Amino acid sequence: MTSTGWSFVEAAARLLARDEREAVLGDLLEADENALQGLVGVLSLVFRREVALWKSWRPWLAAFGVALPSSLLLMGVSLSVTWSYLTLRCPELLQKSSLTLGSGSLVLLCQTLLLIGWSWTGGFVVGSLSRRTLWASTLLCSSPCLFCLSRFRVESLSRFCLLLFLLPAIWGVHHGLRISRMKLRWAIALAITVTALMLPGWSSGAQHWWAPPQWTLNWILIWPAWYLVVTSWRFRTEVRRA
Amino acid sequence: MLGEFEYLMITAAAGLGDNAYGAAIREEIEATTGRKCSIGALYTTIDRLETKGLLKTWMGDATPQRGGRAKRMVRVTPKGVHAAKDFYDAVTRVSRGASWVANRTGSAP
Repeated sequence: MTSTGWSFVEAAARLLARDEREAVLGDLLEADENALQGLVGVLSLVFRREVALWKSWRPWLAAFGVALPSSLLLMGVSLSVTWSYLTLRCPELLQKSSLTLGSGSLVLLCQTLLLIGWSWTGGFVVGSLSRRTLWASTLLCSSPCLFCLSRFRVESLSRFCLLLFLLPAIWGVHHGLRISRMKLRWAIALAITVTALMLPGWSSGAQHWWAPPQWTLNWILIWPAWYLVVTSWRFRTEVRRA
Repeated sequence: MLGEFEYLMITAAAGLGDNAYGAAIREEIEATTGRKCSIGALYTTIDRLETKGLLKTWMGDATPQRGGRAKRMVRVTPKGVHAAKDFYDAVTRVSRGASWVANRTGSAP
């Protein structure tokens, strides 16, 4: 096997788990296969591994149930938070909105906490559900983001205000990859807090300027928080049974 | 019940004994069946059989001929032996009377 061909095979083998990579590359060397045969063999294994991952419901749920819809909605919430902030900073806008500085600040705080809560829980669920298919969830999250960034035309706002949700979402993914499930009491506290923060928006409807857009779709953003509660509760129940 | 390739793999691994690992099993299957055995089919089948509890695998020693890379050793479990025996018995039973069986009892085609 030539060194150039071998480097391609090794690069492809990086898509495999460490132990499997060792075994497969060793087998190819031992069988004295040429670079093309080795590359085809490794790629066929990578493909089979990927197909096997997608036989589970988890990556589908992470990609199409959380990453894609949440990124679309959270861009709207990010925009809403930015508007609230700008309104507070501009006395004329604040006067038009019929809010005082105190109530406006409270609204901004609630919106910011909601944005962080929704993004973090969504990211956590994506991370815990799709460890090895994170690339697909990332792709489905970034596609609408890139589309909206390219179409965003508001002079007074930077287009990057659409992406305020990304930082807490990445933070959530990082935690989801590391611990996969939360302690039950923390999961319940988080879900209740986020739901409580949502209630003012639900009860007053979308006629308020500060209400998150399409509030009727907020259930898409809240279910990851309650999913965490259910998974933590089920895990605790299984541990107690064992 | 096992699939055909699963049976081949368990039989090859059992025959190789302590020397059963990826490349050796692959070589054994190719030599006895005359069919190409891809790395992809080999390792996904090993994983499937291990999940079913029919095989046990672990990382073995590295050798110079493998570029210092470790082997994935394979051992057939008692459950795997039982499954392979069931498969063999079923094939033997269903083959009785078939025209291609040497000591057949049925009539020739």
